[in-house]
Amino acid sequence: MDMVYAQRCINCHGSGGRGDGALAAALPVRPPDFRDTVQRKSNSQIRRVIAEGSSIMPAFGPVLQPSEINDMLQMVRFLSREGRDLAWWEKFDTLVVAHCSVPWETVLGYDEPSSDSKP
Amino acid sequence: MGHRQTRALAVFLALTFATLPRGAVAHEPQPLPTERREARIPINNFTATDQTGRRFEFKSLRGRVVVVAFAYTSCPDVCPLITAAARQVQTGLSSAEHPRVQLLTVTTDPEIDSPRILAAYAARYKADLDNWLFLTGSEAELGKVWKNFGVGVKHKARGLVDHTPLTAIVDKNGYMRVAYVGASPEPKRVLGDVRRLLSER
Repeated sequence: MDMVYAQRCINCHGSGGRGDGALAAALPVRPPDFRDTVQRKSNSQIRRVIAEGSSIMPAFGPVLQPSEINDMLQMVRFLSREGRDLAWWEKFDTLVVAHCSVPWETVLGYDEPSSDSKP
Repeated sequence: MGHRQTRALAVFLALTFATLPRGAVAHEPQPLPTERREARIPINNFTATDQTGRRFEFKSLRGRVVVVAFAYTSCPDVCPLITAAARQVQTGLSSAEHPRVQLLTVTTDPEIDSPRILAAYAARYKADLDNWLFLTGSEAELGKVWKNFGVGVKHKARGLVDHTPLTAIVDKNGYMRVAYVGASPEPKRVLGDVRRLLSER
């Protein structure tokens, strides 16, 4: 349950579910603070948001098992009540770092395409 | 950004924002570092499948300036920022520019991103599909595209892909002329590049 949250959620929602993840400040919409929103939502509403996404939040339904979506739900409920320090997540460090970090290959020396394949 | 720097950024931002008043949601987005590089790389014709299931050929866009973003729909990292920036570029186009500029989002996770999933993704971003297509295809088809654009793609786990965060601008003759590498291509700057390339013959 912890790993799924560390992999898929913490970057935006933050270590304690406060909407203050590493990417939150760069997002056009600030993620919600779970303490303010989760208690008002039913489990099925939360599951639907996780599975189908909302606005710029990804839809995780296509990539996660129902049991993993339940794990996310449990973590969201837990964080809305108790929060969690950033230090607690250090053990997931290798999973929490940015996933989109492969350097651009400058493709210098690329062969000119033949006249057939030119756009 | 390296592992250590990313971790340091995560810790710094988390600690900084932990001090904000509870419920403080309104904010100006703070862009993440994004490198802009000029290039002149010919882009080969390629085929793919769009979000409606129709076949697509890159050469059909000849004569238009094309903004190409690489992202995948279940990305828990910077892709939402890249796609949100592309949406801002689209909304910044004038009605005269709109038909002369094409946006493409090319998935880096074709295993998951079917046309149906891409269509739902486009809808969440309110993309105007008149001049924005979301493309998928076979690994072999897209592999050529990624390579041509210089995008590295590493599959980590189901729905987790490490890839180059590239937003490229291709001129009317099919040459990649500008590469934005990073999470936050600045929409006004991208629009400036698009307009410069539109003005070329």
